[in-house]
Amino acid sequence: MTSRRKRNLTILSKWVVYFLFLLVAATLQSLPGFLQIGSVKPLFILPFCLGVAIYQGEYSGAFFAVLGGFLWDWTGGRIGGLMALGMMLVCFFAAMLVELYLRVNYINFILVTFACALLMLSTDFLFYYLMQDYVAGLHRYLWVVVPSAVYTALLSPLSMKAARFVAGRFVVED
Amino acid sequence: MCNPQGRVRRFFVIQQGGEFGLKDFFYTVKFKILLAVAVILAGSMAWAGANGRLASAPSQILSLVLTPVQQVASFLGGGLNDLTDKYLRIDAIIEENEQLQLENQQLREQLVEYDRIKAEYEAYQDLNNIRTENPDYTYQSAFVIGRDPLEQFGAFTIDQGSAQGIQRGDVVVSDDGYLVGRVIETTLTSSKVMTLLQPGSYAACVVSRTRDSGNLNGNAEYALQGMSVLENLSRDTLATVGDEVITTGLGGEYPPNIRVGTIQEILPEDSGRSSLAVIKPGADIFDLKHVFVITDFGQGEQP
Repeated sequence: MTSRRKRNLTILSKWVVYFLFLLVAATLQSLPGFLQIGSVKPLFILPFCLGVAIYQGEYSGAFFAVLGGFLWDWTGGRIGGLMALGMMLVCFFAAMLVELYLRVNYINFILVTFACALLMLSTDFLFYYLMQDYVAGLHRYLWVVVPSAVYTALLSPLSMKAARFVAGRFVVED
Repeated sequence: MCNPQGRVRRFFVIQQGGEFGLKDFFYTVKFKILLAVAVILAGSMAWAGANGRLASAPSQILSLVLTPVQQVASFLGGGLNDLTDKYLRIDAIIEENEQLQLENQQLREQLVEYDRIKAEYEAYQDLNNIRTENPDYTYQSAFVIGRDPLEQFGAFTIDQGSAQGIQRGDVVVSDDGYLVGRVIETTLTSSKVMTLLQPGSYAACVVSRTRDSGNLNGNAEYALQGMSVLENLSRDTLATVGDEVITTGLGGEYPPNIRVGTIQEILPEDSGRSSLAVIKPGADIFDLKHVFVITDFGQGEQP
């Protein structure tokens, strides 16, 4: 009984710490001017959720990504649920991809993060820029969207480390 | 972590011919829960869209948790931003530093206490100056606490919400009294501000010197440089580069006589019937740290 309680407490603590890290990620992502180069700012919510999905499995990761997506919806001023839905799908399939075909290392994580960030940013760009008929779309895509994905990927090992740190500290014993 | 077969069997049933089938995967309870969450999210989006809101209930709840963290981080982040900014503009900083050292020489004899009082006085003076221009308006001071990478037109989050009397549609001005934008969404403790760089953020304006009227609007082409445009100016306008643009208050959404910025360039519009002026806003939209929200300006009055 004690063992079961301890196990539940460990699981609860782990997800509480993950949530606190997610709050930090959301704060850094929306912090005015933080690591900003020109119009390019890195994402922190997406890489962290990817890290969690990879270390905790695709289903747990997908549900956690919904939470991260809602936070991103809020900080990004997007219709509530849009980024949550996107994050859920991206994290689920990315975690599956890593689980089935890729080794978990920094290079692979950077590549997966780049692909996911580009996908999410491009989708947002499609809905909130191209479909609004704004001009100079290609220029903005090449100078803001793609560099943002690259920048996010380059900083993603930090998120991976954070997710791995929490996963390592709260090991559930069967 | 790389683990091929055993893991594959958890998701797919290996068919007799050796190919993977998806049937069992789609019938798993976890997948059904995931699908249900996706449907709920789609419903949440539809609800938010149908009600003209950005944030759904979960986002709003999470924002209550995030806002205090953002406030603290924004306060602490100021110092960190200054540090990264210095590295990025090192040449300009060195030159500025030399200049400041000269100035510092002259200021060294002044007391530290005097500097502190002076800084405080200047901060209050900004508010006082704006109040002097429009004594009937009610202002609410607010700090910028959030800017997301997704925001393409400089939109930001401030640390004042409906609990402090901020409402959707309230006009936002800079410390110097220049127009910044409008509040588009509020929660209890924070608000989202759409800037005048956003296409579709119409405001009726006139060129102060010539009284030529036009519609101030954001333009995607100029937004990256922090500029907006004044559309539908008369083709034979006498306005020139450097002229000041102010709001007219027409329509009642913006108060009259709020300074917007200066004309940088005047171009013929595509239709050929009117002119378009490129406006450099007086407020540095992408670098604002503090703003004032006009919560009441007597909307009944017209200029």
